[in-house]
Amino acid sequence: MTVYSFYIFDRHTECIYTKTWLPQTSSTSDGPSSGGGGGGGQQQQHGPPGTSTSTSTTTGSGSGSGNTTMQLRASSADDAKLIFGTVFSLRNMVRKLGGDDDAFVAFRTAHYKLHYYETASSLRLVMLTDTGTPSMRNVLHQVYINLWVEYVVKNPLSPVEHKRGVGVKNELFEMALDQFIRGLM
Amino acid sequence: MSYYFAVIGTQDNPLFEYEFGTSKQGGDGQSRFTEQAHHLNQFVLHSSLDIVEEVQWMNGQLYMKVIDKFFTNYISCFMTGGSVKFLLLHQPSATASGTASATRNSTSVGANPTSPQTEEAIKNFFSEVYENYVKAIMSPFYKVNMEIRSPVFRQRVAAAGRKYL
Amino acid sequence: MASSKASRLGEEYVWRTRMDKVNAELVVLTYGAMVAQLCKDFDSDYVKVNQQLDKMGYNIGLRLIEDYLAKSNTFKRCSNFRETAEMIAKVGFKIFLNITPTITNWTSDGKQFSLVFDENPFADFVELPDDGRAQDELWYSNILCGVLRGALEMVQMQVEAKFVSDVLRGNDTTEMRISLIRYIDDELPPEDD
Repeated sequence: MTVYSFYIFDRHTECIYTKTWLPQTSSTSDGPSSGGGGGGGQQQQHGPPGTSTSTSTTTGSGSGSGNTTMQLRASSADDAKLIFGTVFSLRNMVRKLGGDDDAFVAFRTAHYKLHYYETASSLRLVMLTDTGTPSMRNVLHQVYINLWVEYVVKNPLSPVEHKRGVGVKNELFEMALDQFIRGLM
Repeated sequence: MSYYFAVIGTQDNPLFEYEFGTSKQGGDGQSRFTEQAHHLNQFVLHSSLDIVEEVQWMNGQLYMKVIDKFFTNYISCFMTGGSVKFLLLHQPSATASGTASATRNSTSVGANPTSPQTEEAIKNFFSEVYENYVKAIMSPFYKVNMEIRSPVFRQRVAAAGRKYL
Repeated sequence: MASSKASRLGEEYVWRTRMDKVNAELVVLTYGAMVAQLCKDFDSDYVKVNQQLDKMGYNIGLRLIEDYLAKSNTFKRCSNFRETAEMIAKVGFKIFLNITPTITNWTSDGKQFSLVFDENPFADFVELPDDGRAQDELWYSNILCGVLRGALEMVQMQVEAKFVSDVLRGNDTTEMRISLIRYIDDELPPEDD
């Protein structure tokens, strides 16, 4: 099982957290090997959909030129927007068909599987994994309970609203999340 | 038997006072101090504060029993850990002291101010007042050495007086 | 009936095993010191003190709801406001204050109800200042109104919460009135230009 990336969207539909894990299958790695920002340069066979478009332009360069990093950043922001648009529409469609209690859990394509979890406070957690992964609903629930609530919500110095991700990227949360996800893989 | 009870703050400032009479042996709970005694009591009580300072380090007990005597006025003292003093002035009424001397081994509370029974009764009274005092000062609107105005506290002191004295 | 009993047992279990406990007197004194300080800072302007408590509560509520959702293992929304009321009284107050206020006085449209507090852990030992105004103006536990308002807003309910009586003022009961104003719609993603 492989986890490609993880997104958090707040109730204002803004993407407040993104994290990418690069697939361990590629052996020609010379970029950063552990979850940095928006998917460093690396050749990949079955990478996650969003990053594959961007990484193809930065193949094999650990420190991309200013232009490509800009592209990279722009495209990962676009990814988040696209993902949110997709899951939001899917969720609304599911509710329309199956009633208000129905929840959309995951969808799968030929290359990846997208897992979705929404809390009653309209926090949306999205995770992209390989296609063989069983339901991650429980995992996302755990991330919410044990990581989000403990390290972000209960941090009195982090703001209530995480505009542009302020307060989410604290060390405790990032480390615990990374450890937790790596523990699964 | 008449009683005058006062709570004295850490700076020897009065916080609370209450006057009452015995409820034992058919007492009506009313004090029988003379008109002048009302003012005198305050002097007597406060003058014993010097003795409190001497006695308080003697045995480490909160309850110091009878520490002072002024004619027929006996003063018992209880000191909280925060050095707030509870002082009780008790004055056996003329008739009561008369009968006490007549029946020498009288055990009735108050008849003999230094008897173990009286000491025990006053101790119980102080303990109950202490408990309620703690509750009163736990109120967030109470500040240290502020006059205790709580009507609830007054009621409870009265109740403790009726119960034990 | 059976299911509600099961859920109550569940709450009891959560309360006993998964909740951190704190000494009740610490809470009483901390909250009391805060209210007293507010009264002092605002020169006994109790209307302002009430507002301030409500604001603080609101900020607490915004965060507390997440803790509530995590601890109570809530997976789905309440289907109506009556269910919400039940959850507030039997689960929310239970896990955070270990009390269960009584729900009464529903209006016929099901949009307003009262919570009656038989016990109020904030108000132990408290006697309101005897300046003649506190008894009529100060809502000592007003922070609770703010907490409910903030918490419910996060789960898309705009409510108004206010105390209508308080034993500290000499009333027979402590009662909070909660009215649903509206359900808040999902926010839509901004249109791409």
